[in-house]
Amino acid sequence: MNSTKLCWWTPFKYAVPADYENWFEEQALEGWHPVKVSQWSSFAMRFKKGEPKRYRYVVDLQPTPRKDYKRIYEEFGWEFVGQMASAYVWRREYEGERPESFSDMPSRRSRNRRFFWAVAASFIMLAVGALASAGAAVFAPTAPEKRLELILSAAFCALVAAALGVVMARIRKNLDR
Amino acid sequence: MNIDKARQRYIPMSETMLYILLSLREERHGYGIMQHVKELTNGRIVLGAGTVYQSRGKLESDGLIRAVREEDRKKYYVITPTGAQILSEEAARIREVYRHLEGIK
Repeated sequence: MNSTKLCWWTPFKYAVPADYENWFEEQALEGWHPVKVSQWSSFAMRFKKGEPKRYRYVVDLQPTPRKDYKRIYEEFGWEFVGQMASAYVWRREYEGERPESFSDMPSRRSRNRRFFWAVAASFIMLAVGALASAGAAVFAPTAPEKRLELILSAAFCALVAAALGVVMARIRKNLDR
Repeated sequence: MNIDKARQRYIPMSETMLYILLSLREERHGYGIMQHVKELTNGRIVLGAGTVYQSRGKLESDGLIRAVREEDRKKYYVITPTGAQILSEEAARIREVYRHLEGIK
């Protein structure tokens, strides 16, 4: 019996933080628990089959956490699952009432806004890249094959930027969750 | 942050901010704040880790609270004179609201 599985591109698929948390929670209810969450997990995350558990997962983006960031979560009973770049993943087993890490609307919104701006930063970089390549293809007097290269690179940047744009719109729509 | 700016930003303030400030009239660390607020409100307000961490960071960078010591990797905070001033003005505002609401069922 296959007792591990790989899930691809999970943070991109479930870009709304609350959706990502719920997805983790559903996995845990079926007994799937992430083996290790680290940098590469954003591309492929390995899960191992085990006991079904009721875990409340929380994702939080902290580019410059203070020294006691982890300590506070641990004090409140959260278990550190891992981190992908500056995205921290926490979980806590529960029965009855589902625990919250962001217990009021303003803090939930600012957590979601941090994710929004992280995606926006990549979006802007790619949009600038697309425009620069497109501009060079049109205006710079270059050889045809060079021009094709520039057009392809512009198209690629534009495509990824468009995907990020969709993600941004989804996060914005769900700022309250 | 000067007091006028703090007024603009914090009056009125959210219930979370209010109770965090209120509980920091005594030195407390993150979990201690949550426990105290939970006790005060008979379990109605249970602050989460992310909310405490975030609000505390904001209050600290705006100069309403400050870190006093670190013990066992836990940071203890206490309200500053600016914070106390804001809290007292917010309390006056809420008392006024309370008076206006008297008699409403």
